[in-house]
Amino acid sequence: MAQNWLQHTLNRSGWRNQPQVTGLIILGLFITLVFGGVYLTQIADYATINREISELIERRDRLERQNEEMRAEIAALQTVPRLLERAETLGFRLADADELVHLMIEGYNPNRSNVVVNTMPQEEERDIIQYEETFQGWLQQQWDTLQTQFEGFGE
Amino acid sequence: MQAQRDVQSILNRRISVVTWGLVLMSVGLLLSLARFQQLNPLVAREFQIRAQANTNSVRRVPAERGVIYDRDGVPLASNIVQYEIGVSPNLVSNPERVAQELGVSLGQDEFEIYQQITNPRTPFWELIARDVSAQIGQEIADKDLLGVVINPLSRRAYPQGTLAGPLIGFVIPEDNDNTRGAMGVEGRYNAQLAGVSRDQTFSTIPLDTPQDFIENNSQRGMDLVLTMDRDIQYWVELELQRVLAEQNSPSGTIIIMNPSNGDILAMTSYPTFDPNDYANVDSSDVLRVPAILDDYEPGSTMKVLTMAAALESGTITPAWTYNDTGSIEVGGRVTRNWDRNQYGLQTATQMLVNSLNVGAVQLVQLTGYDAFYSTLNRFGIGQPTGIDLQGESEGILRIRGDSGWSEADFASNSYGQALTTTPIQMATAFAAIANDGLMYQPRLVKQIIDGDDIIEAQPTVRNRAVSSDTANTVTDMMVAVVEEGSTLAQLEGYTIAGKTGTAQIPSPLGYEEGAKSTIASFIGFLPADDPQVLIYVRIDRPDGIFGSQVAAPVFRNIAQRLVVLMGIPNDAERENLQAAGGVVNNQ
Repeated sequence: MAQNWLQHTLNRSGWRNQPQVTGLIILGLFITLVFGGVYLTQIADYATINREISELIERRDRLERQNEEMRAEIAALQTVPRLLERAETLGFRLADADELVHLMIEGYNPNRSNVVVNTMPQEEERDIIQYEETFQGWLQQQWDTLQTQFEGFGE
Repeated sequence: MQAQRDVQSILNRRISVVTWGLVLMSVGLLLSLARFQQLNPLVAREFQIRAQANTNSVRRVPAERGVIYDRDGVPLASNIVQYEIGVSPNLVSNPERVAQELGVSLGQDEFEIYQQITNPRTPFWELIARDVSAQIGQEIADKDLLGVVINPLSRRAYPQGTLAGPLIGFVIPEDNDNTRGAMGVEGRYNAQLAGVSRDQTFSTIPLDTPQDFIENNSQRGMDLVLTMDRDIQYWVELELQRVLAEQNSPSGTIIIMNPSNGDILAMTSYPTFDPNDYANVDSSDVLRVPAILDDYEPGSTMKVLTMAAALESGTITPAWTYNDTGSIEVGGRVTRNWDRNQYGLQTATQMLVNSLNVGAVQLVQLTGYDAFYSTLNRFGIGQPTGIDLQGESEGILRIRGDSGWSEADFASNSYGQALTTTPIQMATAFAAIANDGLMYQPRLVKQIIDGDDIIEAQPTVRNRAVSSDTANTVTDMMVAVVEEGSTLAQLEGYTIAGKTGTAQIPSPLGYEEGAKSTIASFIGFLPADDPQVLIYVRIDRPDGIFGSQVAAPVFRNIAQRLVVLMGIPNDAERENLQAAGGVVNNQ
């Protein structure tokens, strides 16, 4: 009986090819699924980031609009009649010419030429080193780069 | 075992056949694709467009208009947001709730909104409300109602109301959700203010997302900083309205200018309008800038230019005298003094102080045709000043050879008749005298701000009208005019140079006669020896008739406020400061 069963199994050896094909198909499917998964992940990431950017743009636009709105509102609240009314309520009145006091400020010249001061921190300008296009030049460039990086760590 | 090998062999063959079949099909497919690439470029492009149309949509993003500021950064024209509320009925799952929520927020009838939403004829889009305020629009947006579409609409706002309305102008809507400047600075600088609308591409796959992000300010219009001072403008408008009411006058114009660079600090006319509500003005005649458009016969203010022409040509010296006989005939036309009196022996200064027509005619006859008209030409009479506003009139200055010109016109021109000028022309010409003879082009825009770049608009010298000596001599004469003649223009502590004008209004039958038939004007500057501000006043058809009675007090009232607003010290104070080594300059 045992012999028959073994013989029967060996006689049906054709099935061995089926697992190979099936294996290939499964492998193909697996690879497809992996690539599909990666693709979908990427697309999802892309969509999410785009959506986030879109929301940020919307938020920025909304803030800009609110800024504009507030600017107009502030300007409307600061019209001359309103300011005058407010000043009068606070006890102020218009000054006359003879009430003006002119002071002389030492060293101040209203006719000075405009001096624009750059408040942004300026990076120290470094000379651009021209390296020779030789092995020695390349080596020197790499060494200098490495040195600059080390200097950067110390800062 | 043999049978098993046979089966294996068969299977191997079949697999190779299938493999080769697949390879051949792939090659065929690749060849087809390669063939597709060889299509006519137009056909290929069409396919490409159709393919993109399936996955992309393009939406127009309107540009935000630039803001207009006064010289101190006060917004004169800015933008506010309003919303357009609509629904896509086919996306609304709960029309009752949407109708209810919108009805509450918008204050509209819920049932009407419900009917609009459920109307089968408009399944895709139905407008519910337009020009909804930012607050309500935001309230609806926060409710997050599915199917409700909220589109922001940028609207122009003029927070100062009627203040400088004609000068700033207004905008009118265009087809593509943009607006266009219609007059004033809005119209003249529309190209800079408008910005550029952009088409933004949205990908509909996999989600509705923008493909190209619009960088902040990349399409926004440029901001403008005007030379105008909001506070000065306010006081000038107030004074104009006061005098018009007092004199029962229908209209008038006042210009405040810095003679040393042509900056317009204020420019107002009445009647005026609110640019927020330009569509509801009583008459379209209001929608204009009279200071640059309404030319008129300037009258006696022209005598200053006549005097400058005579001095500049070397015809006379300040010591010149003449015998005023009360009338003079030129080209068949008899000219008389304004009061029909004879003044006898008069100096050049007295001629201006008493504003004598006969003296002006004698002066122009001595000066001669060429010298007189070439001086008027250098003062910009008969030419647009080049101010940065739309539609400037150039006035009328006829010369020999022009139709209708006569020798009598030559004489009449000397005292400001038979020619027309605009208020801005006269102000610019007088500014040249104040500025040692150098004439600047009047300007309204000081800076253009383009994102982070600030472009300074430099003052433009038009030309030298007269020499410095001539300008100073004429200034001294104008000081005498205020000290001895137009005393109502005087301001205690300040030396003022000025000249009145009382112009008759021409009619088809000559000149109008009787009450309210004149244009009263006064043009002056202060301090006379270091002019920092020029004031032009014109009042049409006043009860008070004369420039010295009507316009001169307006000049004084404005000057009184300006010395405070601009911090101009009086003469004594200025001398003290200068003696102590100080530099006085309020520009």
